[in-house]
Amino acid sequence: MSVKELLNQFHDIASDPKKQMDRYLAEGRKVVLTAPVYTPEELVHAMGMVPMGVWGADVELKEAKRYFPAFICSIVQSIVEMGMKGAYEGASALIVPSLCDSLKVLGENWKYAVPSIPFIPMTYPQNRKPAYGIAYTKAGYERVMRDLEKATGAQFSEEALQESLGVYNEHNEAMRHLTAVLADHPEVSAVQRNDVFKSAWFLRKEEHTQLVKELIQALEAEQPGAAKKRIMTTGVLTDSPELLKIFDENGLQIVCDDVAAESRQYRTDNGEAASALDSLAEKFANMDNCSVLYDRDKKRVAMIVDQAKAAKADGVILIMTKFCDPEEFDYVPIKRACEAAGIPVLLIEADRQMVNYEQARTMIETFKDLL
Amino acid sequence: MAEETKPKRMPPDPNSAKYKLGQIAAKAYTDAIEAKARGEMVGWCSSNFPVEIPETLGLYVCYPENQAAGIAARGGGERMCEISEADGYSNDICAYARISLAYAKVKDAPEQNMPQPDFLLCCNNICNCMIKWYENIAKELDIPMIMIDIPFNPDYEVSDAETEYVKAQFWDAIHQLEEITGKKWSNERYEEVREISGRTSRAWLAATSCARYVPSPFNGFDLLNHMAVMVTARGKLEAAEAMETLLKEYEENHEKGVSTFRAEEKYRIMFEGIACWPWLRVTSTGLKSRGINMVTTIYADAFGFIYDDFDDMCRAYAKVPNAINLELARDKRIKLCKDNHVEGLLVHTNRSCKLWSGFMYEMSRQIGEACGIPVASFDGDQADPRNFSEAQYDTRVQGLTEIMEQNKEGN
Repeated sequence: MSVKELLNQFHDIASDPKKQMDRYLAEGRKVVLTAPVYTPEELVHAMGMVPMGVWGADVELKEAKRYFPAFICSIVQSIVEMGMKGAYEGASALIVPSLCDSLKVLGENWKYAVPSIPFIPMTYPQNRKPAYGIAYTKAGYERVMRDLEKATGAQFSEEALQESLGVYNEHNEAMRHLTAVLADHPEVSAVQRNDVFKSAWFLRKEEHTQLVKELIQALEAEQPGAAKKRIMTTGVLTDSPELLKIFDENGLQIVCDDVAAESRQYRTDNGEAASALDSLAEKFANMDNCSVLYDRDKKRVAMIVDQAKAAKADGVILIMTKFCDPEEFDYVPIKRACEAAGIPVLLIEADRQMVNYEQARTMIETFKDLL
Repeated sequence: MAEETKPKRMPPDPNSAKYKLGQIAAKAYTDAIEAKARGEMVGWCSSNFPVEIPETLGLYVCYPENQAAGIAARGGGERMCEISEADGYSNDICAYARISLAYAKVKDAPEQNMPQPDFLLCCNNICNCMIKWYENIAKELDIPMIMIDIPFNPDYEVSDAETEYVKAQFWDAIHQLEEITGKKWSNERYEEVREISGRTSRAWLAATSCARYVPSPFNGFDLLNHMAVMVTARGKLEAAEAMETLLKEYEENHEKGVSTFRAEEKYRIMFEGIACWPWLRVTSTGLKSRGINMVTTIYADAFGFIYDDFDDMCRAYAKVPNAINLELARDKRIKLCKDNHVEGLLVHTNRSCKLWSGFMYEMSRQIGEACGIPVASFDGDQADPRNFSEAQYDTRVQGLTEIMEQNKEGN
């Protein structure tokens, strides 16, 4: 397939997750929903089911208002809104990690707002690196396994998990490779780049890896388009097509990202520990550079500066999901470090109920002129 | 119209619980200031960090949440929040955190000063926001941060895996602190602290349960002041003695038929959430003027730190209000409402606290149904005065009062 055909295919998948879910259900596969930011998808995969990411949707909040005050982030609120409206019916369970305060309340509200889809908590340790932290992660995974077995009847096996770890490592590698290739192809728009990353949440990883590899191959066979201003994005979620269109209209190319729903997912591979489950627990211990993972040294800040420099980014755009306090705390040291390094930074506040992008447009236009 | 004369305030009785508790709360700050002046290390500590650890090690610690509440109650909340906002911190961030980040920067707040920290003691059993707040201060001031992670428990009981995880961290924290401060852990001293903390907690639980008497021998707003001692000093002998005095006074009030609630107690409510410190007088008067006594809050239950051994202590810290699931949180409140003959629930939807407010709508519906009581909520903030509307508060409290009145007439 050509680059264009492949990008169209990613677009179709990214813009209609329900279609993918229905396809898997029709194939006789069970679907398990996974909430932000990290969940043990490999476990779901190893049990023969399809993990599908739920990061909410750009919808008006009506039903969810019975459960949440206005100052809870719109990702969490719109997950419940969609659940209450029946958008996820057919799914066997929802796994929610306890990585921020809004995710903690998501699970508690979900039990009553969407009783038809069981809530499975994944309690991660923040002190995840010492042996006692890894043991606790493993205990959390064992609990998720038990809950999945109960909700779906599917069975866990070490051998299957070992295989799934390989599938996920291969996908990580493909996504990292793609990111590097896309940095040299300014003709791929920000909207199209988002389709590739977003579609990863709705496909089995082996299927997505295959498509990504085809895209890499097709891109490498093409001449890069005209150069644009190079930017790095950071934040939790940057999937709004309306916002990304403004990037494209202003000649901005995303050359790398530190976005939770994008590259943060693919930095850390499964290693080789005593068992497959131990390997998965160690993977979490090795994860870093994220606003919801405790780090006294705030290494994420320096990483953003280093990555922006390495990718020759002209500036950094932080898309702030409104009411996301982990990101709001990190913004101040990120801004200071980028400014100290001479890298321009732009903060754009966004949420899933955004309809008017004019303020963002003006800010982006002004920012572009600074670069 | 005759000129109004204010009644003369009696000088405080130095043997009263109120005086003793006030002295203990104030002494926590002066002790830390003096220690710092002597060249000793001083820590900043989150409110539900296991106080047994610094107490056993003989460390001086201050409590930024307590300081932020004090600054907010004395009118400095908005000024301090604006300092952090000017640095780029969103005004959606917890106002205690904004005040504290500002204090770490400007190092002065006449409303409540305290020494700058040499180390941080963080425990996220109240919220994960705490982690981010302390991370930023640790990085900014370049000081060590001891982090005890007590995850939100989605289950009713504390699992063995969680107990083991928490216990390992307690020992890790102790060893790190020994290294940082040069102080040594003593099991004998820990046993003393455990005994005292248990004694203080028992007295607190017994004192707050005096709300079962009708009328209540105390105004529930007293608890909001006294809990500062439960947070910061429950391992100290003078705190145990002061809480026992408080219990004695409440029992005596009941026997004499008097109360610290200086009005006729027409209605009894539970107040849910952190106090609206910048608007304490307004929120208190809005109730008192209608004869509403706030007889209980979850704080009555929250500081009952009674445990038998180290493992049990780990479980106790995993059961603090913001670390427990909806069902356990609900059942604790239903018990308080039933034990204390509560007729209505007033919920503070606190903009600063996503975790506390995030499943409160559903939980308060369930409490209302289980207890057959009306529920009203108002929007506010624990420390940022800009997030509260006096008119809305008044309307909501009036609505609650009318339903409680109807319920009384119906009985």
